[in-house]
Amino acid sequence: MTISWLQAALLGLFACLSSMPGMGGTSVGNYTFGRPLIGGFICGLILNDMTTGILVGCAMQVVYIALVTPGGTVSADVRAVSYIGIPLAMVALKSYGLEAASVEGAALATSFGAMVGTLGTVLFYGTATINLAWQHIGWKAVEKREYHKLYVVDMVLPWLSHLICSFIPTLIMCKMGTSVVELIKTTLPMDGIAMKTLFTVGSLLPCVGIAILLKQIVKQMTDFIPYLFGFTLAASMGINLVSATVIAGMFAVINYKIKMLSVNKAAVSGYDDDEEI
Amino acid sequence: MEKKLSKKALTKSFHNWFYGHLTCFSQEHMQTFGYLCSMLPLVEDLYDEEEEKAKAMNTYTAFFNTEPQLGTLIVGITAGLEEARAGGTEDVDDETINGLRAGLMGPIAGIGDSLVVGTVIPILLGIAMGMSTGGSPLGAIFYIIVWNLFAYFGMRFLYFKGYSLGTKAVEFLIGAQGDAIRESVSVLGGMVIGAVSATWVSVATSLQLLNDAGEPYLILQDKLNEVFPGLLTAVFVIACWFLMAKK
Repeated sequence: MTISWLQAALLGLFACLSSMPGMGGTSVGNYTFGRPLIGGFICGLILNDMTTGILVGCAMQVVYIALVTPGGTVSADVRAVSYIGIPLAMVALKSYGLEAASVEGAALATSFGAMVGTLGTVLFYGTATINLAWQHIGWKAVEKREYHKLYVVDMVLPWLSHLICSFIPTLIMCKMGTSVVELIKTTLPMDGIAMKTLFTVGSLLPCVGIAILLKQIVKQMTDFIPYLFGFTLAASMGINLVSATVIAGMFAVINYKIKMLSVNKAAVSGYDDDEEI
Repeated sequence: MEKKLSKKALTKSFHNWFYGHLTCFSQEHMQTFGYLCSMLPLVEDLYDEEEEKAKAMNTYTAFFNTEPQLGTLIVGITAGLEEARAGGTEDVDDETINGLRAGLMGPIAGIGDSLVVGTVIPILLGIAMGMSTGGSPLGAIFYIIVWNLFAYFGMRFLYFKGYSLGTKAVEFLIGAQGDAIRESVSVLGGMVIGAVSATWVSVATSLQLLNDAGEPYLILQDKLNEVFPGLLTAVFVIACWFLMAKK
């Protein structure tokens, strides 16, 4: 399986759209095209192998299902995962002769995602740094009261940052990737220690994604109880995700009502104190 | 004199925010330029004098960053405040607007991260992955359609809700009621994440002890699951949390 220049360029375009400060906007770019499942769908379309694309996308999506970028701190940038990692993993699967649906296939896919995820972080900081130059132009425009230039600064000039930090890296990595994958294959055989380590790491990665999300929620040890409760619903009781959400919603409502009860009580007693004075 | 924003200006402002809030992101100014672009149509609609426009635009050069999708509410609120200021309401000035923006950034980011990014998106992705098992594109198409409709119309609703409620929305979000909402949302988020990790993450051990006949008499994974189904997964997630939270 090889990737042509045209295909690599299309992947590059989607990388521009889908990254965190991406040209597709947050909802359409990052949270749609950036998600590995959708990335797998797009890569499947571009590389003309839908089934493999979706399967690889699913495997990587599990790792990044809980990907948050709180306050602009990035743990893994999706442009590299979805539009460099997925195409290369697809090539690698073909090259190793692995089934994408098999356990080894999924492990190989996630390890490729993890490898390029680090690259994505570098690209993210690169983009943000180049944007500083456009923002400088923006502040000049504000000073001179040429406010319409702001549109150019906000929506046009960042394309140049992405040309450098998304398009070109994706183009080159995907085009050259096929030979790199061949190289990896000859130096790191499937049953070697290095590959096995990569598989193990790949299968533990989803835990990291979940833990990042938990970090947003868990402030004290008792906050683990809702998490374990949800875990029990699914793991022990076999309740599916949507039903578990309904149950979780019920608990959230109860919690809110109880909280508001004490808030209203405090407000009422506060009022009484005023009366006595 | 009463001033009223045109529906056209409001819609343009919303679209500028929906698309452009993060396109020119930098670590230094984050969503500031997106905010400027979304206020520009409003400022042009409200003021005729060059001087007044400059004064209004200067207000929004202050740093801004929050969870951008739920943060649409804040943009809507400031649209209402700017309208009030243009209409001559005296108690709305730079300080009120920026104080409010700074005060709302944190709470909105907290709710947004756990409600939108931590709950809605994983649930939709979870359903989509279920539909895509075996390599069918159905799940991906489902996610593209459902999520984008939800995001666009949800954000549009928040924008206009913020605009019409104005400062009333602030009282709702800051203070005791806001705390109650945040805490309830994090209960919801925590439980959903628990269900997501039990459904989609699986850490297992293949360790087993064999007896003389070569048959396994202890399969560790099964024993652990007898204690608590999915025990290893839960332990690994919590261990990861410790490594990240305590460093």
